[in-house]
Amino acid sequence: MNPLRVAAVFRRIVAQFRRDPRSLALLFIAPLAIIALLGWVLGSAQSTTAHVAVVNESVGPAGAAVATKLQAALDGQPGIVLDRTVVDDATAQQMLKDKKLDLVVVLPPDFSLANRTLQLRTLGLNAAGEASVIPTVQKALVGAFADAAGAALPTITHSTVYGSPDATQLDSLAPVVVGFFAYFFVFILTGISFLRERVGGTLERLLATPVSRAEIVLGYSLGFGFFATLQVALVLAFVLARLEIPALGPVPAFAIGLGVRTIGNPLIAYLLVLVLGLGAVSLGIFLSTFARTELQILQFIPIVIVPQGLLSGFFWPIEQLPSLLQPVARILPVTYAIDGLRQVMIAGADLSSPQVLLDLGVLVGIAAVFIALAAATIRREVA
Amino acid sequence: MTLAPTPAAPATPPSPPAGSAAGPAVEAVALRKDFGPIHAVDGIDMALPPGRIYGLLGPNGSGKTTLIRLLTGLASATSGKAKVLGVAMPSRVNLARIGYMTQSDGIYPELSVWENLSFFAALYGQTDRADLHRTLELVELDTRAGTPAMQLSGGMRRRLSMACALAHHPAVIFLDEPTVGVDPALRVQFWDHFHRLAAAGATLLVSSHVMDEADRCDELLFIRDGHVLAQGTPAELRIRAGTDNLETAFLIFASQTAAAPQTQESAR
Repeated sequence: MNPLRVAAVFRRIVAQFRRDPRSLALLFIAPLAIIALLGWVLGSAQSTTAHVAVVNESVGPAGAAVATKLQAALDGQPGIVLDRTVVDDATAQQMLKDKKLDLVVVLPPDFSLANRTLQLRTLGLNAAGEASVIPTVQKALVGAFADAAGAALPTITHSTVYGSPDATQLDSLAPVVVGFFAYFFVFILTGISFLRERVGGTLERLLATPVSRAEIVLGYSLGFGFFATLQVALVLAFVLARLEIPALGPVPAFAIGLGVRTIGNPLIAYLLVLVLGLGAVSLGIFLSTFARTELQILQFIPIVIVPQGLLSGFFWPIEQLPSLLQPVARILPVTYAIDGLRQVMIAGADLSSPQVLLDLGVLVGIAAVFIALAAATIRREVA
Repeated sequence: MTLAPTPAAPATPPSPPAGSAAGPAVEAVALRKDFGPIHAVDGIDMALPPGRIYGLLGPNGSGKTTLIRLLTGLASATSGKAKVLGVAMPSRVNLARIGYMTQSDGIYPELSVWENLSFFAALYGQTDRADLHRTLELVELDTRAGTPAMQLSGGMRRRLSMACALAHHPAVIFLDEPTVGVDPALRVQFWDHFHRLAAAGATLLVSSHVMDEADRCDELLFIRDGHVLAQGTPAELRIRAGTDNLETAFLIFASQTAAAPQTQESAR
């Protein structure tokens, strides 16, 4: 291992990037744009309102009384707009189709105090979005019935060990998104970079010099580690900080950064992402063996990147995955990075936490496997 | 024409290591490389003494590049031995004394001329900036040091590729079709420099598929189908073939081998 040769490879990677503005933009601007978009989408998704109507098809007095109480209970619920103009089922049905209503509560013709069956009707185009309205409506319905029976519902409050009970989806996604981006971009850029070495004849040339495979992999890791470090610093700053810009002339007030509340140590988060990124560098080198063109590197995205996004616990906890997929999730490096990042950034764990040490250890092990695979594919015989 | 009269560009290969001083600079013993059913190099024996320019001549696909890759250790032989400066190849340490200009340019298009040269030189441990500048002057790219390689013409890229192979003053230099795309005036200078390198003790193996450069070599190896058809100085080969034209000579040797391969040795 000759440090001068490693340094030469490192300097070359940095110089190549400096002259490649598109890749720089991919590394530094794309993650910020995507995270900002994510923050925007998730942030405003919290404030949607559901248009709800109550339709009483029953004939008895019980139905009318319950319908009135339901309307009273629903009116003024946060996130719910009650439409009192709708009285018959046919109109309600049409308004659902026209998207003027999101949910209709129907008291069927045989409704009575003895037969308390209610129907909730939604359109069925956006199952998840419609389902999110139902708990609010159900809560109002239960309250209305309790009220009719002369009882009061208990007051329930929610508290959390970590973070805060009013944390949004963004608060749990943003700290770990850092790991995913580092993995994705480092993999793509190394893969393409090393593919160019192979097809451009420079790898042949490199291997005709005294440089060793270990020196090449290390130089590459340092070079891409350097850019991954800058990327992680920038993305973490964007996620954690929030800079309010006041309105100035025609420009309205806006904020830069997401201001996500975390209590963790960003340096430990960075350590996790760095080890993940080192694995991605070697994975890129390894997989470039199986590609002949840049397009073929991109063809690895559905195989390498997308399943990790779905299975790594990024959106859904591993425990909620089908039992067949859980073992798959447990061999994916991003799984451990995301778990570690959540432990550190949300629960405030540090290096004394066995969970974080386990995550870090597994990431080191996976990186070591990829480094060995990468070194094995850089053979002097490249024909 | 900066270099022709100046001895400033030092043609100083490192002194050969102890033990190999008397032996051949490049040696092959029953060297063979198969790609499936194809015998790309089909049992080549050669022993090339140092300090000369050897021309490796043969049509495309005759095995020239594979032979060079075997000699540099970039390909592993199916059987037989390859030695450079007395050291069996592949040997990573020995590569420090070898220069290899590949058939493709093998340079980084995003990097400048200077960055390319200093990168490859650094891998060989050559970091003397003044000396690197002299190498750039030799290939007449000294005024283009800051230009990204992708903006160079084809001939300029070829010159940069050569500079990257020569910057560390190797004792043995393999040049795979070095003058393709290089204009005639610069080609003359290249050959002048090759001769200065050889005079200073370096051994050069230059491959080509055109015969018009053959007369610039001290010794020729005619190669076809992975065999050495004939080896000798241009004058010797002309006499043996009975023709003044080296191209005709090549065809005569080729037809002799094809007609009676078993009598090839006795025909010499």
